[in-house]
Amino acid sequence: MNRRDSRASGRRQRLLAAGPAPLVLIVLAAAVGLLLCAYTNALSREGGDPTQIVYWAGVLLVVVPIAARVGMEDVSLRERFALVALFGLTLYAIKVVRDPFLFTFPDEPIHAYNADQTLLHHGLFNGNPVLAVTSGYPGLASATNALMSLTGMSAFGAGVILIGVARLLLVMALFVLFTRVSGSHRLAGLAVVIYAGSSNFLYWGVQYSYESLSLPLLVAVLAAFAEREAAGPRLARSWVVPIVLGTLAVVVTHHLTSYALVIVLVLLAVIYRLVRSPKPNPWPFAVFAAVLALGWMLIAAGNTVDYLSPVFSGAVKSVWNTIFGESKARTLFQSPSSEVVHETPFLARLITVAAVGLLLLGYLAGFREAWARRAKRPFVVLFCLGGAAFFATLGLRFAPDAWETGNRAAMYLFIGLAFVIAYAVLRLIRKGPRLRLRQAGVLAGIGIVVIGGAIAGWPWDSQLAQPTRITAAGTEIESEPIALAHWIGEQLPEGKFAAADADARMILAPGEAEAKTGDALAIKTILPETSLSSWELPSLRGNGLDYIVADRRRVATDPGRGSFFYVPGSEPDALLPLAAMHKFGERPLGRTYDSGNIVVFDLRDRP
Amino acid sequence: MKGHRDLKWICVAAIVAALVAVVVPWEVVRLPAALLLAIFLPGYAITAAAFGSQRLDPQRLAMLTLLCGLSLLCLGGLVLNYLPGGLRTVTWTLLLVVVILAAARGAAVRRRKPDRPGAGWTRPRLRGADVACLVLAVAAAAGALIFASTPLPASKAVGYTALWMLPAEDAPGAALEVGVISSEQGPRRYRLEVRVGEKGKPTRYHLALDPDQERVFEVPLEIPPGKKARVVASLYDSERPQELYRRVTTWSVESTSGEG
Repeated sequence: MNRRDSRASGRRQRLLAAGPAPLVLIVLAAAVGLLLCAYTNALSREGGDPTQIVYWAGVLLVVVPIAARVGMEDVSLRERFALVALFGLTLYAIKVVRDPFLFTFPDEPIHAYNADQTLLHHGLFNGNPVLAVTSGYPGLASATNALMSLTGMSAFGAGVILIGVARLLLVMALFVLFTRVSGSHRLAGLAVVIYAGSSNFLYWGVQYSYESLSLPLLVAVLAAFAEREAAGPRLARSWVVPIVLGTLAVVVTHHLTSYALVIVLVLLAVIYRLVRSPKPNPWPFAVFAAVLALGWMLIAAGNTVDYLSPVFSGAVKSVWNTIFGESKARTLFQSPSSEVVHETPFLARLITVAAVGLLLLGYLAGFREAWARRAKRPFVVLFCLGGAAFFATLGLRFAPDAWETGNRAAMYLFIGLAFVIAYAVLRLIRKGPRLRLRQAGVLAGIGIVVIGGAIAGWPWDSQLAQPTRITAAGTEIESEPIALAHWIGEQLPEGKFAAADADARMILAPGEAEAKTGDALAIKTILPETSLSSWELPSLRGNGLDYIVADRRRVATDPGRGSFFYVPGSEPDALLPLAAMHKFGERPLGRTYDSGNIVVFDLRDRP
Repeated sequence: MKGHRDLKWICVAAIVAALVAVVVPWEVVRLPAALLLAIFLPGYAITAAAFGSQRLDPQRLAMLTLLCGLSLLCLGGLVLNYLPGGLRTVTWTLLLVVVILAAARGAAVRRRKPDRPGAGWTRPRLRGADVACLVLAVAAAAGALIFASTPLPASKAVGYTALWMLPAEDAPGAALEVGVISSEQGPRRYRLEVRVGEKGKPTRYHLALDPDQERVFEVPLEIPPGKKARVVASLYDSERPQELYRRVTTWSVESTSGEG
């Protein structure tokens, strides 16, 4: 280095020393990113059509500076840990500012109803009319009830805080797990950031739902397990307490996560044996988790098999039919309710496909280095297998009834994938020629992976908020389904309703009343048809229902889009024929409530 | 717990947080107390009891605190579910305080030796530029929350009016309540017609509502005991007075209690 270079370097050092600390600058960037996301969502709620570029720029402003800093060599362990926590919480806050008034994601009202019921009855296992299986796994309702009871908050407020704490646990646990398995906190930080490329990280994984709590618990149990493995015999006993406590919590919170935990522990037991690890084989933990999960299913959640078996058998059948040409392959970027969905733009599709390509390249490039550690750390074998399995599940996205199974499995498998890819990223940003260029390339790649994952996991037209509560003449009004739910909560809290998917969910929460929907009692068939068969209304009455909610909006069958204001000219503005409403009046039934698109008929009010 | 400052502090904090959660009526004050009482203090106490004299680094301690705290909340409800009283503010508070105190006691017993003085957290040094950046960050985050929590006008969204009809519960005789709720984008004028029986003369009401306003009318029923009559309430928007806007109907029956 000549004298001029050394003077320039000295000036740079002095400037850096006088300016704010990098961590503080990154906090500022994350806050500004969040502000951009909130602003774009506010414009979208206003009914405008804001460009999503501003929104994605906000997301990148959170992701990229943190990715850049955690990837640097001379960053302390504590700073990296703080960055990872900031990363998890800020990305969670993006979801919170999207839906600040009430739960609108498909599963959220179902679980909010469970929490409300625990407060009403001072007990658990109160049943759920839309998704009965959720009542048998009361971990989320129990935790929400604690916060509701101690703060006086609603299920919405308590739920938002609880899932925020769970998200914090997830990123912390991933960091601890990756650090222990790799021996590098630099790699661990990068792997956590890459994990945000999982298709469910930004939205689905932080909805108020049992899996959003159980997955962080599972990862924390695995991290505790990895720590126990590395600890001496005296300390190893101490780690058993959190492992057992966490396993119990997972088992009472979510069925699939508890089975995933059993599978992971069984696989680890097998891997320990295969690699002849000198550490004690973890089979007792595998047996413990298996006995608990099975016992819980038999004793407290007997309907789990009825719930899960059609999902899995449908997925297997769908894959089979798609492979052998008996049914058409699913078109990518299309949700089941595609008739009311905007098409994903070409650029967004391109980013998603590029993200998958980058993930594959990263996996292939990082595999050898990660695999080399397999003898020392059996977890590495598990992660490598998980990464490979992730690409296998991508195939499920082409089968109409299996894509959701693949999408959900990705949340677990991506843990391994992120770990392996982090090795490739580390190799790319090693010191050497054109380091800046390589670093820029890596950051661009991480940005593409995170945005591509979000686009793959959540429909394009649902990325931004839609109007649920707006101002009119200086006061606030709510959308038709939400206003109906509030009216039911005030006037007919004891009523039992049959309703389309979105309406039924709003009746559960915030309405806090009972509603059935979908395939239950053929409600899905009865509501849109233009004439009634003789058995249909007696069947509804015979099953204890009091009211039927007829909704002309086709979007009412879509739980992700059906709770917003009706905006003519937008794609989800399609209406059912008037006959779909009039058929109930012709019977005749009493009309109790009429708000234009939504009419409530009283099944017992007859001449 | 002599000599274990952290354990002493969590016991005191648990009792204070419990009192705040039970006594204070304001959510804003109860929330931090509840988070301490429900997640952080029990999580820390259980971790301390499990690890005894072995010190954990902050990363592992933070993770374990959240893991144990959240796990306790998932499992605590199950315990309370089978105890008298069930899940209530008082029972949760008692359970959490008992767990925290018991775990802290267990930790003190397992640690044996008192803490060495001075082994604590070092406060990060913030310079002027850091403080300025943090203030800006807080302002931006607050701006985000304000944007998020402020409902905005949405001119393209279609407003609506709801009409409803239910039996009046507190009326002296048999009667129906007919309500009109405006969720329109601006003030509206309406005509409401309620007709009892096929040949009954409609009773007319004229009303004007601002957005988010509701008017409820009590409609007395004069129907012979035990007989049913169709009651129809029709709502007309003043902008299109001849066009039916909303309609609700019922087959009302005179109740015996309504006869007197």
